[in-house]
Amino acid sequence: MLSIIKNKLHDASISLIMVTFLLSVIGLISIGSVTINQDISFTDTSFFRQILWMIPAVVFLFITFSLSRKNIYKYSPILYFLFIMLLFVPYLSTQVAGTHRWITFGSIHIQPSEIAKFLIVLVLARYLSNPKLRLNRKSAVLMPLIITAIPALIVLKQPDLGTAIIMASPVIVMMFWAGVKPFNLFLLIAPIMAILTAFNSLSFWIWAVLLLIILYLARPTMVMGVVVYFANIFLGLLSPTLWNMLKPYQQKRILTVLDPTLDPLGAGYQIIQSQTAIGSGGFLGKGWGQGTQTQLKYLPVQETDFIVSVIGEEFGFIAIFIILVLFGWMLLRMLKLAYESDNKFSSLAIIGIMVIFLTHIFVNVAMAAGMIPVKGLPLPFLSYGGSFLLSCYMMIGLVINLGINYSD
Amino acid sequence: MLQSENQVSQQKVIILRAVVAAVIVLLLGRFFQLQIYRYEQYKVKSEANIIRVQSIPAPRGLIYDREGNILVDNHPTYMLTAIPVEIDNRDSIIKKISNYIDIPEEILTRNYKKYYLGRFHPTRLAKDLSISQLSRIAEHKSELPGIYYRLLPERYYPEFINAAHILGYVREVDRNYLETANQNKQYRLGDMIGWRGLEKQYELILRGTDGARYLRVDALGREVQSSIDHEVIKPIPGEDIHISLDSDLQILIRSEMSGKRGAVIVSDPNSGEILAIGSFPDYPPDLFTGITLNEDWNSYLNNPEKPLVNRITHGLYPPGSTFKPLVMLALLNYDLVDTNKSITCRGSYRLGRRRYDCWKPGGHGNVNLPKAIIESCNVYFYNMIQLIPLDKWAEICRDFSLGNPSGIDLPSELSGNIPDINFMNGKYGVKGWTKGQLLNIAIGQGDILVTPMQMVNMINLFATQGKSYEPHLLISRESPLSTSLEYKDEIWDLLHRYMFGVTHGEKGTGKLAQPRLEKVISYGKTGTAENPHGDPHAWYVGWAKMNNSMISVVILVENSGHGGDIAAPIARKIFELYFTKYFSEELS
Repeated sequence: MLSIIKNKLHDASISLIMVTFLLSVIGLISIGSVTINQDISFTDTSFFRQILWMIPAVVFLFITFSLSRKNIYKYSPILYFLFIMLLFVPYLSTQVAGTHRWITFGSIHIQPSEIAKFLIVLVLARYLSNPKLRLNRKSAVLMPLIITAIPALIVLKQPDLGTAIIMASPVIVMMFWAGVKPFNLFLLIAPIMAILTAFNSLSFWIWAVLLLIILYLARPTMVMGVVVYFANIFLGLLSPTLWNMLKPYQQKRILTVLDPTLDPLGAGYQIIQSQTAIGSGGFLGKGWGQGTQTQLKYLPVQETDFIVSVIGEEFGFIAIFIILVLFGWMLLRMLKLAYESDNKFSSLAIIGIMVIFLTHIFVNVAMAAGMIPVKGLPLPFLSYGGSFLLSCYMMIGLVINLGINYSD
Repeated sequence: MLQSENQVSQQKVIILRAVVAAVIVLLLGRFFQLQIYRYEQYKVKSEANIIRVQSIPAPRGLIYDREGNILVDNHPTYMLTAIPVEIDNRDSIIKKISNYIDIPEEILTRNYKKYYLGRFHPTRLAKDLSISQLSRIAEHKSELPGIYYRLLPERYYPEFINAAHILGYVREVDRNYLETANQNKQYRLGDMIGWRGLEKQYELILRGTDGARYLRVDALGREVQSSIDHEVIKPIPGEDIHISLDSDLQILIRSEMSGKRGAVIVSDPNSGEILAIGSFPDYPPDLFTGITLNEDWNSYLNNPEKPLVNRITHGLYPPGSTFKPLVMLALLNYDLVDTNKSITCRGSYRLGRRRYDCWKPGGHGNVNLPKAIIESCNVYFYNMIQLIPLDKWAEICRDFSLGNPSGIDLPSELSGNIPDINFMNGKYGVKGWTKGQLLNIAIGQGDILVTPMQMVNMINLFATQGKSYEPHLLISRESPLSTSLEYKDEIWDLLHRYMFGVTHGEKGTGKLAQPRLEKVISYGKTGTAENPHGDPHAWYVGWAKMNNSMISVVILVENSGHGGDIAAPIARKIFELYFTKYFSEELS
C-alpha cells in the first residue's frame, strides 16, 4: 500500500495534506483552549477526543487516496443508495439533542449524512461526465436535481438544515462546470431569487423587470418564456405563505441576523457574544486560554460552531487572516486540480468537493461574524466533531486521488 | 467512460476563482471591520462581561415598642449561592456540597431550581449555615468552583413578645410574585418583602435600598479584585419604626389569654394609640422565616383553634349586649324614651307565638333605662327597639364607625355588618323579615357582625364623648384623622353614668372590671353573645380613667361564658398594670 501511496503522491497533494494538517493543529490548539479550564477528566475533554478522532481520520484519508479511480467510479452509486438507507437509521432510535442525526455505537455517535454529502458529489460527477448525456437538453438538469434532493430532503427532515444546505450546494456549480446551458441553470436559480426578492415590493419589481430582460436576451420559445415568467412571478407572490411554513425559531434566526439586538438573550445572544469575542480579540488576540468571552462561557457551542470566535478572540485578526488565506489557497488549489484533470469525472468530483468546503467555510465563518443567520455548521479541520473530521479528511483524500493525471 | 475528456473553458475557471476570492475577501473584510476597525467598541463590551455585580443587601428597619425595646430585630445569617455559568456539572457539585454540609441533595437542587434567575446570577442553595458547615465549604473551596457564601441580615423576632399577627413577617420574593405583582420591578427573586402585618403595612419605610459592589473576574470567573472603575454603592438601611405597643401589657394579655381563644385590644382613646393587641391562639413568629416544613404548616392550617386567623381584624362576631349602649343612644337622640319610665321584666318577652328570653331566668322586675344598661336587661330593649326605625338605629351604628373598617394601620381587615332596611330586604325579601329579627338586633345578635377592632372605635368614642382618633400602631408626630360626633351633652352624661353603673352598681354586670385602685374609675359594658358554635362568647368593652389619662379595652373570649365573669376580670388586670406602671406617683 505504501508503494501505491508513494507512486500517487504528487506535489499538489503533498501541499494539500500539509495545509490540512496545519489547519487541524490550529483547530486542536483552539479546542484545547476551550477545554483546558473545564472541570472534567482529560479523557473526557473534546480536545482529547478530537486527537483520538485524528487517527481514523488519517487512516481514512489514505484509504480514499489509495482507492482506484475505477472503483470509485464503479461503486459510488451503490454506496450512494446504501447511505440513503443509512440516513433513515437514526429515525429508528431515539433522538439525540432533539434530532435524528446520529447513529450510536456505544458512546460514539456517527452522522451518516457527513459521508452522504460527498457521495452525492461522486454520483453527480458520474452522471454529468457521461459523454452520451445531451447537456443542452432540459432533462439533463432534472436527474442531478433528483440525485441531490433525495438525501437533502431526508436530512432536512432530521432536522438538519445546515447539512441539507451543504448537500444542495454543489449541484448547480457542477452542472455549470459540466457544461449545462447557463440559461437552464438560470431557470433553476430564478425561483429562488423570486422568493428572496418577494419580501420587498421594490426588489420584487426590479427582479420582475430583470427576469423579462434575461428572457428576452436568451430568446426561448414564446410559450416557454411566458410560462417561465409567470411561474416565477406566481412563486414570488406565494412566498409569504412559504415564510409562514418555516418554524418560528427559523424565522427568528433569520430576523435576528438583520438586527441582533432584537433578541439579546435568544438567537441574538449568540451573535452578540460571538461578535464581541471576535472584536475584542483585536489584531493579536488575548492569548491562549485568556479569552474572557471564551473562558467565561459567554460563547455557546464554542468548540464546534463558534471555534472561529475562539480563534478570533485569543489569537486575533492575524490568525483569522492566516486561516482564511490557507482556506483560500486550498480552494484555489482544488480548482486548479479540477481544471487540469485529465478526465471529466474527476474534474467534476473535485469541483463538487470544493463547493462543499467553500460552503462550510462561508456559512460557518459568516455566521460567527454575524453576517448570516445562526446555522449550526462546523468549520472544516478546525471544529470539534468526529464524523465531520473524518468526512473532511476523506474528501481531501479523494481530491488528491482524483487530482492525479496519469496521462502526464 | 472515465476517459471522457475534460474540456473546461478558461472562462469558467476564472468565474469560480473570482467566487472563491470574493468569499475569502468578504470574510476577511468583515473580520477586519470587527477586530481592527471596531476593536475599541468590542473591547469595552467584553470588559463589561468580566465585571460582576454583587448586591449588598440593605438591612431592614427595626421595630421598637413605645419604650424603645426592640420588637423585631435583624441578625446575620450565612447563605450559600452558586453562579450557574461557573458550574460545569451541577449534580456532582451539589452532591459534594450535600456531603460537606449534610443537607439533602434534593433540597439543594430544589432551591437551585427555585431561585435560578439567569446564568450569571448568584442562585441560592442553602441558608442559615452554621459556622462548622461554613468552614467545611471553605476547606473545599477549590473543589467547588462557582460556589460562594455571603453574610446577609435576616429578620429575627424575639420571643418575649409574641405578636405574630400584628408584627407580621417577611417572605422571600418568589417567581410567582415577580410575575404577578412586581410591576415596578423593585424586587428581585430572593429579596425579602414584608408579607403580613406591620412588616407589610410599613414595607416602604422598613425596606432599605440594596447596595452593590463590582468585582472584576479573571478568565476563569474567579474574583480578582474590586473593580476600580466602579465605586461601591453602599446599601441604604431601612428606617426604624416605633410603634405604640407596651411590652408589659402585651405580655400580660398573652398570659391572661393563654389557653383561650379570642382577642384583646388595649388603646388610648385620647390618641388612638394601641397599647396592646393580640389574637389568640397565635403562632410562633418565626414560622414563616426559616424553612417551614410541610408538617408544621399542616399542623397550623388544620388546627381547629385556627391560630392563623387574625381575630382582631378578621374575626366576625355578634357583639351581644355590648351593643345595648348604641340602642340607648338612638332612643335618647331621637327622644323616644323617658329614662325614668319602667317596664316589667319577667324573664322573657312574647312576640306572637315566639318567646324571647332575658338572660336572667327570673327576670329583672321593674326596669328603667339605667337599670337596663347596668343589669343588661334584654326584655327592656326588646320593648324599646320597636320604637326605633331600623335605619335610624343603623345610622347611629355607622356614627360609631361600625360596619366600616376601623382604619387600623394593618394591611387588611373586614368590615363586619350592620343590617339596615336595604340589607334586610336584600337578604330576606321585602316582606321576608319580621319584628322578631329586630328584637335580636336590640341585644346585638342576629345579622350584626363586628370585628374586635371595630369595637375599639366604638368604645373610644364613648370614652371621649365623640372625639376620637383612628386607632393606630405607628407612633407619628401628627395625630391621625379624628372623628367628632355631635350628640347632646346630657346624652353623653347619661351614657357615662350608666356605664359607670355597670362597673360600680351593686348588681352591675361588669363589677369585676373595676380596678382596685382608688383614684381610677372605670366604665364599661359586658356582653354575652349567643352563637351557634357552643358556649356564648364573653365580651367586655370599657375604659378606665384617672384625671385626664384613659385607656380602653376590648376583650373577647370565644365560647367561654358570661362577659362579666370571664372578660371583665381581664380588663381589671390591664387597668391595674397600666395605671401602676405609668402613674404610680399620682396613685399614692
